[in-house]
Amino acid sequence: MTNSSGEKFVVPIGPQHPALKEPGQFQFTVDGEIVTGASIRLGFVHRGIEKACESRNYTQDLYLLERVCGICSHVHATAFALGVEKLAGVEAPPRAEAIRVLGGELERIHSHLLWLGVAAHEGGFDTLFMYTWRDREVVMDLLESISGSRVHYSLNVIGGVKYDITDKMADEIRRGMDFLEERTHYYMKVVTTDDTFVGRTRGVGIMTKEHAERLGAVGPTARASGVERDIRFNAPYSAYKEFPINMIMDTTGDLEARFIVRIKELFECYRLIREILDNLPESDLTVKVKRRIPAGEVISRVEAPRGELLYYIQSDGSDMPARVKARTPSLCNWATISDVAIGHKLADMPMLLVGIDPCFSCNDRLVQVNRPNQTDLNWSWDDLRRYGIEYYR
Amino acid sequence: MDTLTRLENGKDLLLEWIEETNNPEENRLDVWVSPQNFKAATKALVDAGWGYLMTITGKDKPPVVDEDGNELQSGEIIGLYHFAQEAAVLSICVKVPYENPKLDTICDLIPSATIYEREFMELFGVDLVDTPDRERLVLPDNWPDGVYPLRKDFKQMSEEEKLGKELS
Repeated sequence: MTNSSGEKFVVPIGPQHPALKEPGQFQFTVDGEIVTGASIRLGFVHRGIEKACESRNYTQDLYLLERVCGICSHVHATAFALGVEKLAGVEAPPRAEAIRVLGGELERIHSHLLWLGVAAHEGGFDTLFMYTWRDREVVMDLLESISGSRVHYSLNVIGGVKYDITDKMADEIRRGMDFLEERTHYYMKVVTTDDTFVGRTRGVGIMTKEHAERLGAVGPTARASGVERDIRFNAPYSAYKEFPINMIMDTTGDLEARFIVRIKELFECYRLIREILDNLPESDLTVKVKRRIPAGEVISRVEAPRGELLYYIQSDGSDMPARVKARTPSLCNWATISDVAIGHKLADMPMLLVGIDPCFSCNDRLVQVNRPNQTDLNWSWDDLRRYGIEYYR
Repeated sequence: MDTLTRLENGKDLLLEWIEETNNPEENRLDVWVSPQNFKAATKALVDAGWGYLMTITGKDKPPVVDEDGNELQSGEIIGLYHFAQEAAVLSICVKVPYENPKLDTICDLIPSATIYEREFMELFGVDLVDTPDRERLVLPDNWPDGVYPLRKDFKQMSEEEKLGKELS
């Protein structure tokens, strides 16, 4: 829509966003109902964790990095611990590695169910949102029974894990998986057959394989477009060598495919968790690691629920890292939004946004793309304040 | 194809620009190139479709100063451009001096690199020539110019800078 002076209409949403519970600002340039450009401003909760890591020792960093994200906390700690262990030249005992993977897969279930709920909510299907979040409590309770905490489990220590899985816990987890598997069949049926829901997802936001590759998409977002990218499969780490996974793929590349890939991954999680519980190796839980880590550098790649997570760790031989760099999966996937948004209705935007399962705290940064309007409508706090004062003068 | 073959193939593509290589891990190869050849090397990898750019890691190597304050070795900014193909990780490594921290952009070869480049620029103070977007990525709007938080000499902001930040 263009007014008399030829300016484009921009619909700003956020940073205090009514639907997403995290701070992000979106500006959609619209022509009537159709989006012609999209820009995303992040960075509102950037915390400078990479710098903070350089002034803390490795053990402190482990807990700090776990707090990068409140959803996939375990996978951050795992990536860091695996990297530091490699630098120190030790390997965690097999039982510890299996428990790490178990924790990682339980976390993936909790993350995917959380996402399914949020996605259903954005699609206007609040009953499904209530159902999935109710069922998610099952896996949250399991995580709590293992570690004593719902979100930051602190399963990892450098050199192994803190908590063991007892037979009683294993039975509890198996029961939980049986319940969740049955529910997941139901969700699969809903998202592929419910007319109103399919109307919001099928053929919406199609991203081709070439696009996904060019934009550097990772995780389920990439796999839904047929890009074979799953670190658990491509470069197995920790206990994924002993307990391999099947990579879940789809080639449609639309929103529905992103739903199907994530729901199929849930089934894969249940299968893997059962397999690990049945074949849990017997060993100690930790090996001793010296406080000072030998000089060197390492890249540790793991598959977080949202895609590839990368840690670069450099040690100078002291008890504090010289450099820690984290590259989180959401960062790679943001670029896909602005690309697929164009040409869709404004009302489809919430669904497209949740389609990549964006995680703000995990990568709070800024992306700005595709601004067809010539005038710069980005105002700094100063500009806004000055404008406010002038306006009422 | 195994990981070592992948790395060999990657190395063959870069052969004419290599200054130095090392293997920090068994699945990794670091290839050092000069800033002038850096773009050509990256282009060779991209044209051959060798893997994808995972991220750019910036590193700071502060100047070496003796007791009297004389600079023995000038400070350098190091950029590691990590490419991955399955488990193989090949990093194109390049270093630029503090006095002239200029590097070519690779956004025309890999459009999605823009976020990594912007992060690299604002946190380390390198100048990526012709990069399409120079806006702030993670730092606040009122962050002072010329202060690069991931350089080793940055400890915290001075009182004046903090004050200036609060006043604005």
